[in-house]
Amino acid sequence: MHWQPPSVAPILTMIYFINYLLNNGVPQETIILILMLPIIATIIAFSRQIIGIKTFGIYTPLIITFVFLAIDIRYGIIVFITVLLAGSLVRIILKRFRFLYLPRMAILVIIVALIILLMFGEAAYSQRTEFIGTSIFPILIMIILVEKFISAQIEKGARTAILLTIETLIIAIICYIVVRLEFLRSFVLAKPGWVIAGSIVANILLGKWTGLRLFEFIRFKDVIKYVELPEKK
Amino acid sequence: MWNFLKKSKGFLGINERNIKYISPFNSKRAINIADSKILTKKILKKAGLPIAETYYILHNRKELKNFSWRNLPKSFVLKPNRGLGGEGIIVLYGKRKNQECWIKADKTPLTVNDLNNHILAILDGDFSIINIPDAAIFEERIKIHPIFKPYSHKGIPDIRIIVFNNIPVMAQLRLPTPESGGTANLHRGGIGVGIDMANGITTHAVHRDRLINTIPGSKLSFRGIKIPNWRELLQLAVEVQKATGLGFVGVDIAIDREKGPLILETNARPGLSIQIANIAPLGERLKRVIGLKTKNTPHAVRISRELFGGEIEEEIEEISGKKVIGIREKIKIFGPNEKQYETIAKIDTGAYRTSLCYSVAEKLNLNKIIRKKSVRSALGNEERDIVNLKFSLDNLLIDTEAFLAKRENMKHDMIIGRKDIKKYLVDAAKNVRLK
Repeated sequence: MHWQPPSVAPILTMIYFINYLLNNGVPQETIILILMLPIIATIIAFSRQIIGIKTFGIYTPLIITFVFLAIDIRYGIIVFITVLLAGSLVRIILKRFRFLYLPRMAILVIIVALIILLMFGEAAYSQRTEFIGTSIFPILIMIILVEKFISAQIEKGARTAILLTIETLIIAIICYIVVRLEFLRSFVLAKPGWVIAGSIVANILLGKWTGLRLFEFIRFKDVIKYVELPEKK
Repeated sequence: MWNFLKKSKGFLGINERNIKYISPFNSKRAINIADSKILTKKILKKAGLPIAETYYILHNRKELKNFSWRNLPKSFVLKPNRGLGGEGIIVLYGKRKNQECWIKADKTPLTVNDLNNHILAILDGDFSIINIPDAAIFEERIKIHPIFKPYSHKGIPDIRIIVFNNIPVMAQLRLPTPESGGTANLHRGGIGVGIDMANGITTHAVHRDRLINTIPGSKLSFRGIKIPNWRELLQLAVEVQKATGLGFVGVDIAIDREKGPLILETNARPGLSIQIANIAPLGERLKRVIGLKTKNTPHAVRISRELFGGEIEEEIEEISGKKVIGIREKIKIFGPNEKQYETIAKIDTGAYRTSLCYSVAEKLNLNKIIRKKSVRSALGNEERDIVNLKFSLDNLLIDTEAFLAKRENMKHDMIIGRKDIKKYLVDAAKNVRLK
């Protein structure tokens, strides 16, 4: 006998609704990805509040995860890194000309677009068919990321920006692996209500969490040793 | 492991800082003011608090175009209004003769053209919080106080005081290093040195989140630097909190060689490494002052110094049940007919009995000699007079028999011997320069 979670009316309704969508031609992959959103968002929130990994907000790692799902992750990472390197290089070159912010960003986007075109050229030359078939949206998303990354570089310095990027990338890769888990994919379809309710509860708890983050434990570990506990009388 | 977790409880992390202290106590309006140096200065000036003088403010490219560089003084600081963590600040130390060219701390010259470019970057918002267009400020250059000179590398150290509920809770001295590029910000490689709240004396130092003892590459210790004007600094920090309306604030104050303390800026999201520099948990301290009511600024400062200072000394006093006194102490001698005499006595653990100068004894009519005793000293045998003596040391009355001696030419009117300090412990490093 299977253990069945206690059935609650709205959660049951959710399943009927999903079935309705499937029966009317909404692709199963789309529904799975949408239902994965709460899980990915929760992972990102968890890694920030409990572990202390800093990312560019919640949207950026989330969307990178989806880019990785859309184009093969190997190409995804290569495109991501190339685009960011090109962006930083262009920024350093443009710095001395003192342009206003928006024109400067526009030039950056133009050059990044050129580089992506060149990458397609390379893919066509060596017949990488999976990459050639990529739709425009993941590529556009990569370009949006360039702006985020470059503005972080300007504001917080290269060191912080690079750290932020690496941490964002790590989180995106973890999320990618999670989303690809077969058992999770079937669970999401079978118990959509539980996924959503569970994610909300988890985030309410995370939102009120005031404990030290894992990275802070490491940061303060030497000092914590020195602290004397107040004697109980 | 369990013990470690228990000990870590008092430490303030980012989560707790944001949820419990920043969002309930710092209003959006107050944070906005704190993020703008121009607005902060305006408010502090209105409250009559000391700030560095502003020479000029440039708001846009047009103002920059019409700016006459000739008006600039020999030395000044150029800052972005909404700069974060000390980014974009340039300090100019001098000017070349008959030339529109200024010199930076590392002796590189900056021409009008260089300055113009830097100001353009500021106006474009290169250093501001979310790349919004910003203003550039020309400000008076603060001159370093001699006491900090050996510790600081090409820049001005400042003192960060965290104030909560009008009570200063924790403080650290921030020192610029070669890698921090003249600013005192810890995340750029500056050194943070914890400060004892009671007496303004430095304790431990932190560099890149690690505890250090001496200046890297030298034997100069960070311990025991006495911050000048300590009480004034604490009072200023409380006043700044009252003026800005930030409930939880980090106040940065620099000390100018001539003008004394000047408030540099306020920080609505103070960093947490201050806990490492003080080896003390900030969260626990904040909890202790929540809801405490203070009558006025001096009262708040008194509470702070009592609550968060002199922990080592207090611990010793608690364990031994004896008070710690220094090598010099203020005392009050009581003569008959309610005559009183205040002086500074030297604590001399080499002598058994206390000695008082004849001249003081005469003034107080204490010359009723009860007996004589011969003592052997470096000068041979000597007959000394003994009198009854009442004096107060550290708020305790001591009733004893003391020698009278010729001490007119000595530094101290009186020395206190072993016999009368049995209730105390003597710290040879305390009050060495008490006057």
